[in-house]
Amino acid sequence: MDIQIIGFGVIGQGFVEVLLRKERFLKQRYGLDLKVVSISDITGTAVEGEGIDLRRALEVMRQTRGIINYPGARKMTGVEAIEAFEADAVLEVTPSNIQTGEPGLTHMLKAMGQGKHLVTSNKGPLALRFRALSDAAKKNGVEFGFEASVGGAMPIINLAKVNLAGDEILAIEGILNGTTNFVLSRMAKEESPLEIVLKEAREMGIAEADPSYDIEGIDTAAKLVILANALMGIDATYRDVKTQGIRKVTPEAVKLAKEDGYAIKLIGEVRNSHLEVAPRLVPVDHPLNVDGILNVALLQTDVAGDITVVGKGAGAIETNSAILSDIISIALKRGLG
Amino acid sequence: MKISLDLELKDVPGQLVKALEPVSRMGGNIISVVHLREELGKGRVPVHLLFEVRDSAMLDAIIAELERRDIWVSKVGEFKKKEKITLVLVGHIVDTDIRDTIDRINEIEGVLVADLKLAMPHPEKESSALIDIEVTRPEKAKEALQRLDSVAREKDLLVIRSLRS
Repeated sequence: MDIQIIGFGVIGQGFVEVLLRKERFLKQRYGLDLKVVSISDITGTAVEGEGIDLRRALEVMRQTRGIINYPGARKMTGVEAIEAFEADAVLEVTPSNIQTGEPGLTHMLKAMGQGKHLVTSNKGPLALRFRALSDAAKKNGVEFGFEASVGGAMPIINLAKVNLAGDEILAIEGILNGTTNFVLSRMAKEESPLEIVLKEAREMGIAEADPSYDIEGIDTAAKLVILANALMGIDATYRDVKTQGIRKVTPEAVKLAKEDGYAIKLIGEVRNSHLEVAPRLVPVDHPLNVDGILNVALLQTDVAGDITVVGKGAGAIETNSAILSDIISIALKRGLG
Repeated sequence: MKISLDLELKDVPGQLVKALEPVSRMGGNIISVVHLREELGKGRVPVHLLFEVRDSAMLDAIIAELERRDIWVSKVGEFKKKEKITLVLVGHIVDTDIRDTIDRINEIEGVLVADLKLAMPHPEKESSALIDIEVTRPEKAKEALQRLDSVAREKDLLVIRSLRS
């Protein structure tokens, strides 16, 4: 199976690392020979019909931070690479943009328009234009894998679509952002204000320099939209979510809740076509009360009852567990070796 | 409406069926029956009955029928199970008139602010409060939360509600 990688940051490089680590396993278990035929980032595109030397590509990135420095790389954009080269699938892992969805949205539509299967972890385009993307996949007869866009390694989309195929999902609620969960967990443990804990999270690499995307609930809202669309057939976009972040949560509020047997968590909830993100009181013995960077989701279904999944919600390697699972299932379904 | 009824039956066979039959036949939905044989007094056996009826006319008809059958109805009560809502408020709770916030919730019939714990780190800083609200019926909970949301918007307070599930 020939793959083009568009976007070569943390997730893209993580994919290559996982691929190197799992090469033999994939061959032995699935008879799968995954070949990366091109890698594009903002600087240019590296291309090799026989397969990119992945170790070398990682080395180039470590030393120069631009794929243009890979031997023979061209000054060519992601869109041009998708158009120019043959491949079975495109892995779109450019940075997420919740305002316009770009450049990911164009990459995705272009890839599907070219008859290439698409796998992505990029939330922005999905949170804004889910219906358009799934329609494009159908129209072009290609697979669309986006397990990695919600909950990192936590398997939720394929769990609901494959294992719970006969169930109707009535409601979903969960912690879909590891950074806020880390912050709230630390606030409960240390009784410190949000700003202090956030600083600590930044030093540990858990929060970004500008963490407002996480703290204001935007990231959770984007993921919630993807779940509502993919699992409940709700044609919602990011702008339909009532969103309240955790910026105003005080250490006293966390302490009062704790003394009464509750934890405060940033919860995304979809029920009766209503999508909401807000801090909530979660009973300490409730399955949604998980700490640290963990993500958790509770699916309320009509036949199976409640199903809860917990897993690491972020991380370059962990997220690639979801990407790899999408790629393997496409390869097996479409008979690509 | 959910009704609790204390009955006293004659201590002879067949009395319990005689008491339950009209409740069921006339449209009542029996939830529980407690037959207290060990408390036999005055030759009569106390029975505690919990059932649902559509309205008070249906209840009156059931009671009249029971009395016609020589079943003593010693106590009638509407069974009100209270539900508790716990939530946390954050903001300038005291400065925005905490008394007024509580009063505006309490003025809804069947809703009562039963407990409030306040934490004020500094008079000028935002405070936090854990509040327990008791409601007599589930639909009252919705009304109380809507009222609280509108008060919170007006006073710029953050409401942290409990998880729905």
